[in-house]
Amino acid sequence: MYKYSLLIVFIFGFNLCSAQEKDEVEERIKKSEVHPKAIAWLKDAYEKRRKVKWYYQTDGKEEAFEAKLKHKKHLHSVEFNTDGIVQNIEVLIKEKEMDRTVFGIITDYMNTTYNKFSFSKIQIQYTGSEDDLEDVIDENEFEEISISYEIEYYGKTDTQNELWEGLFDQDGKLIVKRIVKIKNTDNLDY
Amino acid sequence: MKYFFVSVLSLLFVQVRAQDNRFIFGFFPEASLKYNISENYSITHKIESQHGLFDSNRLNEELDYEHNLTDIQTFLGRKISPFVKVDIGYQYRLQEGENTHRSIQQVSILQRALSYRIGHRIRTDQTFFENASILYRIRYRLKGQIPLQGRELDPGENYLAISNELIYMIQSSEDDLENRLTAAYGFYIDDKNKVEVGLDYRTDDYLVEDRFRHRLWFKFGYYKSL
Repeated sequence: MYKYSLLIVFIFGFNLCSAQEKDEVEERIKKSEVHPKAIAWLKDAYEKRRKVKWYYQTDGKEEAFEAKLKHKKHLHSVEFNTDGIVQNIEVLIKEKEMDRTVFGIITDYMNTTYNKFSFSKIQIQYTGSEDDLEDVIDENEFEEISISYEIEYYGKTDTQNELWEGLFDQDGKLIVKRIVKIKNTDNLDY
Repeated sequence: MKYFFVSVLSLLFVQVRAQDNRFIFGFFPEASLKYNISENYSITHKIESQHGLFDSNRLNEELDYEHNLTDIQTFLGRKISPFVKVDIGYQYRLQEGENTHRSIQQVSILQRALSYRIGHRIRTDQTFFENASILYRIRYRLKGQIPLQGRELDPGENYLAISNELIYMIQSSEDDLENRLTAAYGFYIDDKNKVEVGLDYRTDDYLVEDRFRHRLWFKFGYYKSL
């Protein structure tokens, strides 16, 4: 029996480890934990909206609240700062929903940079003032709004074979890209 | 933690229905160590061990410790893309009677969704015995990993891991099927350290007449990568 009690101690030891402090956090929170201004903005912009999931996230330095909801059959992520001021709206879209000219420019970039590529996730990002962002949602107006595309894609060159995340401006020009690190799959493979 | 108990209970329920067949319960610790040797190649070592505590075949159905077997495995893996990996491996099995050698080939495919992810594993293996013909097996495993806090799995958070594996085996024209269902509670300490604690419910001898075997293992797995 001693052997097994040791095992149990071992398991709980790990449990304690995992409860220690951590830098990167992204977790589901209750609506009551969100700044009331954020809730008010969301109500004004989306009016009769359905279920909203709230998240808190931090990279160790900056903190933010994020609301995830479905709107006109699209998944929207609305980011707020800790004062409840809306920062940007990201909408998950399909390839065919992208502006044709922009999509053409991005595809050209892919063709010239990679031997092989495929898009895995496309998000259009709207950034602007609180009022202008509200108009994007309830009036479908895009004045004073800056648009960018956050695209996750697989791209293979002669030397690199990776999953990437690229940020493209409203004309489809690449601003910045980074390699997306896929979490270890040892527990899925062996 | 409640997910853990739910999975334990549901597996126990499956087990209770089949009292008249052979039933084995025991501990099944396992540990793996993975490291990269180049951009695309990696080595994985794994050790797993079955320790029986209960076997309905024994005359007096009481708890009794028995070391069933210990497997030592080494794999050489090659990354084909960020989502596809192929491996060849070797296993040495220590058990009462005869120790065996096994060669293993596998392809693993990662499927990612917005929050959870699924690993597909297709494996073939051949086990070599001294006085019997080679045992050939082909197996497919599906394993889902679902974060329990938010959509991203961050260090210090926990996850639920559920898998099912179907195995077809054949040895000198006699064949059989085995199924392995597991449910585990995972501790994602960080990307280099993971612990999974759960149950592994195995049933086999499907194609063998008048025989059916259930094995329920309490599993404890540690996944380490360098």
